[in-house]
Amino acid sequence: MSKKLYELIGRVMNVPISQINENSGPESIESWTSFNGYVLLYELEHEFNVKFTMEEAIDVKTISDIKRHLRNHGVALND
Amino acid sequence: MKHIVTSMESKLSHYINAAGNLDISSFEKKIRIGILGSFTLNGLEETLRVKCAEKKVDSAVFVSRYNQYNQDILNDKSELYSFSPDIVFLILDTRSILGNFFYSPYSLSFDLRKELIENKAKELMNLFTVFTNKTKSKLVVTNLSVPTYSPYGICETKSELGLQEVVMNLNSKLYDYARHNRAVYIYDLNGFVTRYGESNVFDYRQYFFGDIKVSLEFIPYLAENFMGYVKVMMGLNKKCIALDLDNTLWGGVVGEDGFDGIKLGPTPPGNAYLEFQRLLLALNQRGIILAINSKNNEDDALEVIRNHPHMILREENFASIRINWNDKVSNMKEIAEELNIGLDGIAYFDDDPVNREFMTMNLPEILTVDLPSDPAFYSSALHGINDFNVLKITEEDLKRKDMYLQEKKRKDFEKNVTNIEDFLKQLEIKLKIKKADQFTIPRISQLTLKTNQFNLTTRRYQEEEIRQFSQDSNMLVGCIQVEDKFGDNGITGVFIVKKENQKEWTIDTFLLSCRVMGREVEKSILAHIISKARESKVERIKAQYIPTKKNKPVESFLPDCGFHKEGDYWIYSVNSSFKAPDYLKVSVE
Repeated sequence: MSKKLYELIGRVMNVPISQINENSGPESIESWTSFNGYVLLYELEHEFNVKFTMEEAIDVKTISDIKRHLRNHGVALND
Repeated sequence: MKHIVTSMESKLSHYINAAGNLDISSFEKKIRIGILGSFTLNGLEETLRVKCAEKKVDSAVFVSRYNQYNQDILNDKSELYSFSPDIVFLILDTRSILGNFFYSPYSLSFDLRKELIENKAKELMNLFTVFTNKTKSKLVVTNLSVPTYSPYGICETKSELGLQEVVMNLNSKLYDYARHNRAVYIYDLNGFVTRYGESNVFDYRQYFFGDIKVSLEFIPYLAENFMGYVKVMMGLNKKCIALDLDNTLWGGVVGEDGFDGIKLGPTPPGNAYLEFQRLLLALNQRGIILAINSKNNEDDALEVIRNHPHMILREENFASIRINWNDKVSNMKEIAEELNIGLDGIAYFDDDPVNREFMTMNLPEILTVDLPSDPAFYSSALHGINDFNVLKITEEDLKRKDMYLQEKKRKDFEKNVTNIEDFLKQLEIKLKIKKADQFTIPRISQLTLKTNQFNLTTRRYQEEEIRQFSQDSNMLVGCIQVEDKFGDNGITGVFIVKKENQKEWTIDTFLLSCRVMGREVEKSILAHIISKARESKVERIKAQYIPTKKNKPVESFLPDCGFHKEGDYWIYSVNSSFKAPDYLKVSVE
């Protein structure tokens, strides 16, 4: 499942998967603008069939935050 | 919440990424699109550029800064005007336009609510007028989405000028305005929201985060809807629908199930085919040509078309019929030839995926529709196609169905005449040469936009441009109505001449609809231009043949008429005598 997550982030942010890790976020990925952040959230919701709350969305600073929220919604991610 | 969509769209990220890697260098068609909005519309620009590229159109898109549409329109020196767009989409939302009223509609008295409608409508219309006075661009304005929530609850619909009625009244004022201003179109955003559902299109979280009022998921759908305007402006609209029969117009196979065994009638699944035929008939009445391309026993199929009690489409609705055992690609080429239209003007409906694949492989220029496997969804598939638009429904559109029937009779008549000149004489062709005026300008523009074959220069002109030309004393703009003993072909020819100076005129545009090609009509039109030139003591007429993939039929027209080549131009000395065919009766209005 993590692979699917990384592929999705790579596609939305238009960066190679090799450049993405747990700590990636708006700070390290240039294309991670606030708008692309919204695009990412809605595509994650579609892909994993979840709905993030506003608080969760605001809380996302890195990919590990996304993983944490996905797990809280019952999505199994094996690293 | 689940929603059903008729055609699946790609995700917004697909468009955003693809927009960065477009190869548009080889595209001949170009369009400049402006996007103005009262809320965040990121992603729309990228999606439109990718969708244009998919149609081989090179697009430049200008996006106004967030909620700056007033300034952009009112300021002469704004980036919008220096961008010089061909079409501008102004996307408005009800919240922004109504402000506080949106939340507390009943804090205003009835009279003040009435005033509010007037004021808001005036404000918007003033913007549209300023814009259309400053540019030649078309302006597509979205109507306002009617809110489904009201603080009055079940009493909302009992309240005079309630929130919903205020929005509806405002919308109808916008419609009224657009009916009287040719450059302004109203896009039915309220219909878009209804179709996909307010709770899907409007996502509160996206609204709170980024003032996004059309959710990111639906931006590609909105862009696809906007492409309806782009396609027709670029002359990419479809003129003809070619149809398979078995399991497309009726259920079952007539050759096996028989006349009585096919499914077509008021009960399911026959009523799905009935509905589909009704929609096709409405398109046919609006000017879309229908044709049949079917592998079948001709007698069996025609028996159904002529005599089945529930058939909606009858033989007279089809301008070209190919029912045989030949391959469908050859049939399609014949249909295009018979109707004298390009293959790229045809949309094809066939239930069989193998036939569709065969068509797509061999004739990719045809729009082969991915028909759903369940006929229940044929109608929604047809609803989802935005390739049948015209910018204005002209009289010719409404008469087209009859014109093609006349053409069939003409062809039968031609078969019985051995000598072409006799045939043309017996056709009793009458030409009316008309000025460009408010009645003919929409059709003149339409012809420049879509005529490909008999077109010397293939210059595309929007209505506003033709209007300007017609008011310019240095231009001569005219059109030709062609009639014969079988009927009226309507306005089917256009010429635009630039009076360069006292001695020389240049033919800017000279075109003839394929419907009247091969009748020497063109020579009579040229004779008219030459006689006009003579009256004005002009010595030379310059003309150009700009070759395209499609205008081979007009290649030899200029030399055949006595023009001689000088550099890039063809020149005609007005002194030399020109003989127009004498069997054509010409009148000038």
